[in-house]
Amino acid sequence: MDVMIHSSSFLLPELPADQTSGAGPTYALVLLNQHLPRFTPLLWKHAQLRVCADGGANRLYDELPGLFPDEDASSVRNRYKPDMIKGDMDSIRAEVLEFYKNMGTKIVDASHDQDTTDLHKCVAFVRDFYADTETSTLCILVVGALGGRFDHEMGNINVLCRFSTIRIVLVSEDCLIQLLPSTHHHEIHIQSSIEGPHCGLIPIGTRSGSTTTTGLQWNLTNTEMRFGGLISTSNIVRGGIVTVQSSSDLLWTVSLKKS
Amino acid sequence: MEAMVHSSSFLLPEIPAGDGDGLKYALVLLNQRLPKFTPLLWKHAQLRVCADGGANRVFNDLPLLFPHETPSDVRTRYKPDVIKGDMDSVRTEVLEFYRNMGTKIVDESHDQDTTDLHKCVAFIRDFHADTEDTLCILVAGALGGRFDHEIGNINVICHFSATRIILLSEDSLIQLLPSARHHEIHIQSSVEGPHCGLIPIGAPSGSTTTTGLQWDLSDTEMRFGGLISTSNIVKGEVITVHSTSDLLWTVSLKKL
Repeated sequence: MDVMIHSSSFLLPELPADQTSGAGPTYALVLLNQHLPRFTPLLWKHAQLRVCADGGANRLYDELPGLFPDEDASSVRNRYKPDMIKGDMDSIRAEVLEFYKNMGTKIVDASHDQDTTDLHKCVAFVRDFYADTETSTLCILVVGALGGRFDHEMGNINVLCRFSTIRIVLVSEDCLIQLLPSTHHHEIHIQSSIEGPHCGLIPIGTRSGSTTTTGLQWNLTNTEMRFGGLISTSNIVRGGIVTVQSSSDLLWTVSLKKS
Repeated sequence: MEAMVHSSSFLLPEIPAGDGDGLKYALVLLNQRLPKFTPLLWKHAQLRVCADGGANRVFNDLPLLFPHETPSDVRTRYKPDVIKGDMDSVRTEVLEFYRNMGTKIVDESHDQDTTDLHKCVAFIRDFHADTEDTLCILVAGALGGRFDHEIGNINVICHFSATRIILLSEDSLIQLLPSARHHEIHIQSSVEGPHCGLIPIGAPSGSTTTTGLQWDLSDTEMRFGGLISTSNIVKGEVITVHSTSDLLWTVSLKKL
């Protein structure tokens, strides 16, 4: 079974030398309609494609200037121009839509499609945009996916499960979440300056007959996990590398440090 | 088997006579920002328990909801019956304040296998052991913050599936609908809706049937990785749900 390596180097101020000039993941950033984490500009810097899902454009317009209090709001907005705004357009404010349309942002109204969430539509778009690139090098970062309505949060988690062959990382102020598909052994390289120590492994949507880990305070050894029984929450990262292998897809979550 | 009836009447200023089938409420406060309607839940509850750092939240946040009163008047009125948990979050001065007021302090730090919410739910069930059928545990501060905490709290309601436990945040309410029962959810439209969802959190659900939703399910399969019901809309005053697996029901709460 192949090893899949994970690293939150996108949260470091500079990408490591071995990841620059095409050797590392290609990052795309999707912005959803919740309060944006304060490190959003850092993710924006690393990303090659920036997409707002509907009301995510309101958040970009309203909140990014607040992260640069010494700059004039309109020069911040000019710098942080999304490549695309996509979704069913029922949340974005008219003046925000006009502002970005006039700046050249591509607007894609997908309101005819009521069967998929805005995040689903944006992930499908990013995947198709990079269709000729190997998807193992694509990593989609998503901000504003957590908090707010619980059904929205679960809908966003379900997008990770539906696109299980694409690296998608949900990032909030407090934590990150990603799917560890059962098809691979996983090696999670912990960036201890920015993440940890609190973590968890969650058998989302299905019982996991067997999970084995190394590098955690409470490691699992061929352990069954299921909702209603044991799931691994409030665990602690102990090593520089956490390894995970499971018979089912699991969600990995780790806390982010306040800067 | 008769239907299991659900109603968020605990969110109404006064619980209507004859509503709720004489449910007895208990309130657990966890360590996240407390929703604005926490005093209303406190009023309806007969037992109020802080899980560890939830006591910090009662101490800090409740006075903010009563800006015309002095903090110490508010803190004297809102005195929890018990503070329970592993005590690694509650501030020393907060613990002393409530201890001096007569709150029972139960240090469970020896038990590292269960979450603070689990300990509090177990305590309340034992306290109400003879009236379990009429018990409803309300939990404030259950959502937001670290995702693993949120999931740990959801797992508590899955584990204690025979007990009515309702997780509450400013934005949403979540409760478990145990499998194979007919559920009738009476919507209090002044305080909740219209956004809602049904989530097969722990296992795929081979078949779910509903009435009263914009997008009803009809013997429909649901599972993570496939279809789950989110961004649904409450259409009727009564929602019915019947499923072959335990589901989470979630509905949005209206801003006050």
